[in-house]
Amino acid sequence: MRIGIDIGGTHTDGILIDGTRLVAAAKIPTNHDHLLESISQVLHLILDGQDPAGVSVLNLSTTLTTNAIITGKTDPVGMLVAGGPGIALETYRIGDHFHQIPGSLDHLGTETAPLDVNQLESAIADCCALGVKRFAVAVKFSPRNPVHENLMRDQLGERADFVSTGHLISGQLNFGRRIHTAYYNSAVSRTFRSFTTALTASLSGFALQCEVNILKADGGTMPLVRAQEAPVQSIFSGPAASVMGILATTPASSDMLMLDIGGTTSDIALFASGQPLLEREGIAIDGHPTLVRAIHVESIGIGGDSLISMGANGVQTGPQRLGPCMATGGPAPTLMDALNVLGLAAFGEVQRSIEGMVILAASHGLSGVQLARDAVDTAVNAISTKIESLIAHVNSKPVYTIHEILEDREVTPEKIIVIGGPAAVFKELLQVRLGIEVVIPPFHGVANAIGAALTRSTSHLTLTADTTKGKLSVPMLGVFRSIPRGFNLDTAIEESKNLLQGDLAQAGISISADEIQITQADSFNMVEGSYTTGKNIRVVAQVQPAVVARLDASSAEVLISGRP
Amino acid sequence: MLKATSSLGVIFFPAYDWAISPTHPEREERLLYTQDQFREEGLFDIEGISEHRPLFASDQDIMRAHFCFPTVDAICTESHRISAGGAIQAARLVLEQETRRAFALVRPPGHHAMKVVHGNRGFCNINIEAVMVEWIREHYGRKRIAIVDTDCHHGDGTQDVYWHDPDVLFISMHQDGRTLYPGSGFPNENGGPRALGRTINIPLPPRTGDEGYLYALENVVLPILADFKPDLVINSAGQDNHYSDPITNMQFSAQGYARLNELLRPDIAVLEGGYSIKGALPYVNLGICLAMAGCDYSGVREPDFNAIALREEPDTLDYIKASCGQLLEGYFHPAMGAFEKQGEYFIRERKIFYDTDGIMEKQREELTDCDQCRGLRLIKTSSSRILPCLGVELPIDCCPACEREGYEQFNRKNDDFLVAQLLDQKNKQYRYRPSR
Repeated sequence: MRIGIDIGGTHTDGILIDGTRLVAAAKIPTNHDHLLESISQVLHLILDGQDPAGVSVLNLSTTLTTNAIITGKTDPVGMLVAGGPGIALETYRIGDHFHQIPGSLDHLGTETAPLDVNQLESAIADCCALGVKRFAVAVKFSPRNPVHENLMRDQLGERADFVSTGHLISGQLNFGRRIHTAYYNSAVSRTFRSFTTALTASLSGFALQCEVNILKADGGTMPLVRAQEAPVQSIFSGPAASVMGILATTPASSDMLMLDIGGTTSDIALFASGQPLLEREGIAIDGHPTLVRAIHVESIGIGGDSLISMGANGVQTGPQRLGPCMATGGPAPTLMDALNVLGLAAFGEVQRSIEGMVILAASHGLSGVQLARDAVDTAVNAISTKIESLIAHVNSKPVYTIHEILEDREVTPEKIIVIGGPAAVFKELLQVRLGIEVVIPPFHGVANAIGAALTRSTSHLTLTADTTKGKLSVPMLGVFRSIPRGFNLDTAIEESKNLLQGDLAQAGISISADEIQITQADSFNMVEGSYTTGKNIRVVAQVQPAVVARLDASSAEVLISGRP
Repeated sequence: MLKATSSLGVIFFPAYDWAISPTHPEREERLLYTQDQFREEGLFDIEGISEHRPLFASDQDIMRAHFCFPTVDAICTESHRISAGGAIQAARLVLEQETRRAFALVRPPGHHAMKVVHGNRGFCNINIEAVMVEWIREHYGRKRIAIVDTDCHHGDGTQDVYWHDPDVLFISMHQDGRTLYPGSGFPNENGGPRALGRTINIPLPPRTGDEGYLYALENVVLPILADFKPDLVINSAGQDNHYSDPITNMQFSAQGYARLNELLRPDIAVLEGGYSIKGALPYVNLGICLAMAGCDYSGVREPDFNAIALREEPDTLDYIKASCGQLLEGYFHPAMGAFEKQGEYFIRERKIFYDTDGIMEKQREELTDCDQCRGLRLIKTSSSRILPCLGVELPIDCCPACEREGYEQFNRKNDDFLVAQLLDQKNKQYRYRPSR
C-alpha cells in the first residue's frame, strides 16, 4: 500500500492506496505552526483499521520550505560567489552575508583568473565571526569546471554545518539562478532537517516501516536522504501533486489542460501528449528566479472565495478574498455565491448567497441574477484568457534548429481536466467558453494526495564533453574526468543513461534504461583555422514525471473522512 | 535584479543544424558559446529582455527585395528564409511596439547579397536586412530608414540594393577595401543619380581600435543621422572588427561594440559576420544586448582584453580624424558622379563574382532618367551558370509612363530572357513572368 499526503495552504489531504484501489481518504485543515500535527491527524484517519506493516511507500508534499522562505524563517547563509567579467555580481546580492571573491572561468571552463584564497579566507572568517554556520558557494561557469567551487567548499571545511555547492545543484548554465538556488537550499536546510527528524520519529510511532519520499516541484519524488541535501527541491510541490493527480486518475495521452480551482487562486497546467510541461529553467522563489525544475503552472487570482466587487470597468471577480462565501458564513458575496444564485451550485446555505448578492446588486441598479451572471462570466473569461495565453506562450517558445522551426507540432489541447472544490460547477461554463471537452475526474477533491502517492522518482543530468580538451563533465554528479579520443555522441548518450541509472540506484531506485529520456543530444564540430580539432557534445537525460499506477475509478465511493 | 530601461526583444536563432560546410566559419557551432554566455549571465532573466523565435520569410517577402534567378528556391534554402524571418520578427516586435528595440541574432548573414542574386557571395544568399526593410514598408508604409553597417567588411550587397533609393540612407563603416574583401566601399561611392548622398562609406585603416572607430561614429555617422532624421535606425551588426577575429585586421573590443550601440541607439540590430566564435562573440553579443536594453555593460570584457595593446597607432587616429570632413561632404554636398548615359538611360555594366559559389555574373542596368519619378530600372543579367534574365523594378513613386513601359517590358512574349521578374513597389506586385 502507498500513502500520499499533500500539505496545502488551507487543507492537508491524505490517502491510502492499495494497488489501483483507493482505500481511505482524509481532509483536514492545515495547522501551519505544527505541520507534523496535521500529518499525524491524517495518518490516524487513513490508517484507521489498516495494518501499517502493509504500507511500503509514503510520499509527502509539504509547504514547509515554501513557508519558511515566504515568512522569512530561514537561517543566515554565508554566500560566497566568484564571477569575474560580465553582469555585475552585485545584481545577484542575496542575504546579509554576500561575499564576492575575485577569480573567474570562461565559457569553456578555462580559468581566466585564479581564485583569491586570501579574500576567500577573510570572507569566511567574517561569516564565522557573526556566527554563520550554513554556507553556499557559486561560481560563474562552475558546471564547466568546478575547481573554484570545490576550493571554496574545501576552505570552509569543518567551519560549515551545511554547504550548498552550485554545480551539484544543477548542470544548467545560469549563474544568477545558481546563486539563488544554492542560497535557498542552505537557508532552509536546518528547518528541513529538524522536520524530517521529527517526521521519522512520528512515523515509527505509527509503526510505519516504509520508504519515505518528498515531492518535488517537477512532480517527481526524492528519497528523504536526498531531500536533506537538496531541501530547496521540495518547494512549490503542491501544484505538481495536483498535476500528477490528473495523471493518476485520468487516461492521458493527448494534449490537454489542467485547471485546479481553489479558494483564492486557480492553477493551470498544460500537457503535451499526456506529459506535463516543465518550466524552461526553473521557478522563481520570492521573486528570485532559480534552477529548481518545476512543472509549469500558471496561477490566476480567481477561486470559489473570490470577492465580487464593482470596479470602474464593471463587475470584478477576485483577486481579493475577504473570507469564505456567504453561503458558509462569509462577509461578502463571492464567486461561489454567484454560482449558488444562478442555480449552478447548491453549496451551503443558498439563501444567504441570494440575499447578499441582491443587496450588492441593488446598490448598483442591478438584479442579483444579473450581477451573479456578470461575475461568473468575468471569472470564466479571465480563466479562459489565461489558458489561451499559456498555450500561445508554449507554442512560441524559442527553438534553435531549422528542423524544429519546420517540424514542431503546436500544442493544441483537446480537453481540460478540472479539479478542486467547485470543479463540477464549471464544467458547462468552460465547455461553452473554450469549445473543448471538459472532464471532471473521479476523486477530484483529493487528486493532489493521489498524485503524491502514485508519483515516482524523477531525475536528470546534463553531460558536456569537449573532445579537443579530452574532458567530460556531469556537474550534478560531480563527475569531471578525461575521455578517450573516440568519444562521440552515441557514447555520450550511453554514458548519460548509465550515470543517471547508477545515481538513482545509489538512492535505492531502480529504473530501466528505456525509462530514461534524452531531451537534448548535440554534437558540434570544433574548428581551429580550417581543421576540425574535436567535438563539443551536449546531452541532457531525464527520468520524466510519471505515475506508477492509475487509480481504478470503481473505488470512487470511498468517503473522505475528517472533512472540515 | 537588473531591469532594461528600454525593452529589448532578442531573436536568438543559432541554426544548430545548418552549415555552409563542416569546417566553414559559417557553421553550426558559430553561436554556441554566445548562447552559453547568455544563459550563464541570465540575459533573459533581465526584466525587459525577452527571447523570440524567428518567423519564416515567404517567396513574396524575398521577391520584394531581390531579383532571384532563376527562382527563389534555387537561391535560398530554409535556413535563409528563417534567418530573414528572424529579421522580420525583430521588425515586427518594434513596429508593433511589443518591444522598444530588437536584435535579430540569426545566421546565416546577408549583407553581401545584392539586388540580383545568382548564388552565395561572402557567405550570403539573400540580404536579410533588405528583406526586413521591404517587409516594413509593405506593412507599415513608406518610411525613412537608416541602415548603419558596422560589419568589418563593406556592406556591398546592402549598398547595391539601396543604391537608387533616396528613402534609405546606407552608411557602412568597414576596414579599408584596399586591404579586405570585398574590395569596395570607398568615400566617393555616394549612391546613384537619384539617391546622391544616401550612400556613405567610411573606410577605416587596419588596426583601428575603439577610439578611432567611435570617433568616426560620433563625427560622421551621428551628425548625418541627426540631419537625415530617419523613422528607424538599423544596425547591420557584424562582429568581425573584433581584435580576435580570424579573417580581419581590426582592434575593436566588446566594450567598443557596446558603446557603439549605446551611441547609435538602433531600433533594430541584425547580426552579420563575426567568426571569432569563442573569443569575441560571447562578449560582443552580451555587450550589444545590454547596451541596447540600456543596462550597465561596464563589466563586460574579454578575458584577454588589454586596452593598451589594442590602442591604435597615433598615425591611424590622425588619419581617421583627417578623413571625417570629406566623409561628411559625401552626405551634405555629394559630387555628381560620372554616371554613364545612353539616350535617356543611366547605364551600369558590371561583372560580379560570387566567391562562395564560384559564379561570375554579367549585369547591365538601365535606369530611366525620368523627371516625373525615380525612374524605371531594368536589369539584364546572365552568369556562368544561367542564360540572360530580366529584372523590372518600378519605384514606389513610379509615374504612369514608366509604369506602362515597365509592364510592357515584363509582359513581352518573345524576348530572349530565360526568366523575367517584376518588382513593382508602387502597386505591390512581385512575380515572375509565366513561363512560355
